Amino acid sequence: MYIRVCLTNNPRKVQNAKRTLALPHLPPYASELTRSIIREVRDLDKDVSSILAPYSGSFNPSASPETACALLVNHLCMRRNKRCLLAYHKVRSDKLEEYCWEGVDVLEAQGGQGNGEGGGMGSGNGKDESSLSPEEEEYVRQYSDLLAAYKGRWTDIDLTGTLEPPRDLFIDVRVMKDAGEIQTEYGSIMLTKNSQFYVRQGDVERLITQGYLQRLS
Amino acid sequence: MDIDDLLAEVAVDSTPPETRDLQELTRCWVAERVAPEILPWPSDLMDRVLERIRRQIELVEDQTGNMDPKTNFKLIIIQTELERFKFLVRSFLRARMKKIDAHPIHILAQHTASTSTFAPLLSPSELQYMTSHQSLLSNHYSSSFLSQFPASLQRLDDTTGGISMVDKPDEDKAVFVRAMKDVGDIFVEGTDRRFEMKRGDVWVVRWSAVRRWSVGTGTGDVELI
Repeated sequence: MYIRVCLTNNPRKVQNAKRTLALPHLPPYASELTRSIIREVRDLDKDVSSILAPYSGSFNPSASPETACALLVNHLCMRRNKRCLLAYHKVRSDKLEEYCWEGVDVLEAQGGQGNGEGGGMGSGNGKDESSLSPEEEEYVRQYSDLLAAYKGRWTDIDLTGTLEPPRDLFIDVRVMKDAGEIQTEYGSIMLTKNSQFYVRQGDVERLITQGYLQRLS
Repeated sequence: MDIDDLLAEVAVDSTPPETRDLQELTRCWVAERVAPEILPWPSDLMDRVLERIRRQIELVEDQTGNMDPKTNFKLIIIQTELERFKFLVRSFLRARMKKIDAHPIHILAQHTASTSTFAPLLSPSELQYMTSHQSLLSNHYSSSFLSQFPASLQRLDDTTGGISMVDKPDEDKAVFVRAMKDVGDIFVEGTDRRFEMKRGDVWVVRWSAVRRWSVGTGTGDVELI
């Protein structure tokens, strides 16, 4: 009778998730760690079945408490592993959703060209390798579709707009990067670098979050 | 009912419906931001507000060509008001979405229970968003790791092992409330606290204790602040 010591990897996973919470960007996906935890769970499951095999379905816990204990520990470990993995993925997918809301194109920023874009969002991982797992990339794609569809129902409101209460209708902005020409209700404006405008906030909000314009107070 | 209640009712009737809607929207917005659980979707109110926003936008679009300084000034005021309304609605929707994202399975169960009543918990589009988001998430989990788990461990709403996987909002969270009418005795469950709430009183109290009287979930005698 032995109980597999199985709690070596998980503290790292949780630490990783905790760290992700505090970071402004997403650290690379820990695929190796995930794989090893999955392996561990499968091994544990095999152990459980092999322990239970000789009883052929009629296991009585009170008859052999030591076996029951081993089973319990195995089960708890598997559940704990599952919880840790879920938490880790949830933290990361929350982060990805946040990017979608802010209008940062994570997939593009991962590609390498997007560094320094969006006020440092998604940058800071200058490596060629993407820090998202393929599943996560797929998730981002689908979630942005979902978000776009949901936003489409509220065209008048602009759901992704600022959550700061509006104070002034018009604001001063400075152009940080060439953004070309934009159309507003008061005619078109040519946004060339370093020029300054007094424009309606609703018209330029997107450009501010994308880092093309800076709001002057 | 005493003279104050009568006066309050008269005052309500004499305010124009637009002002009342704004009041109601603001109240819903504050309540939604403060209450730990999601409140029923105020569908009539939202229909009216959205319709009005749409009309104002049309009005603004119609009149922007007008160079008359007087209309121009009026337009600016309308637009400012419009922006504020949009902000209220946006913030309200986002507050709801945040809760939907945080406790999807729990809210889905609550919503299913509420569909037979007059006030469903979610609007149709919210429900759609929530179900698609949830299916996206579970797909993501299962393709990332869950599918490789033993079958007995693949569920997301497991309750075995003494711990439910379905996360619930903390219904005992303290909220600030103001009584708009005399509510009477309130008994805080799980403690032996009992107190009387009178019109105009402000209390800090557990959400679960005042939920029955709150704006949105109950009689509306108590507003959250």
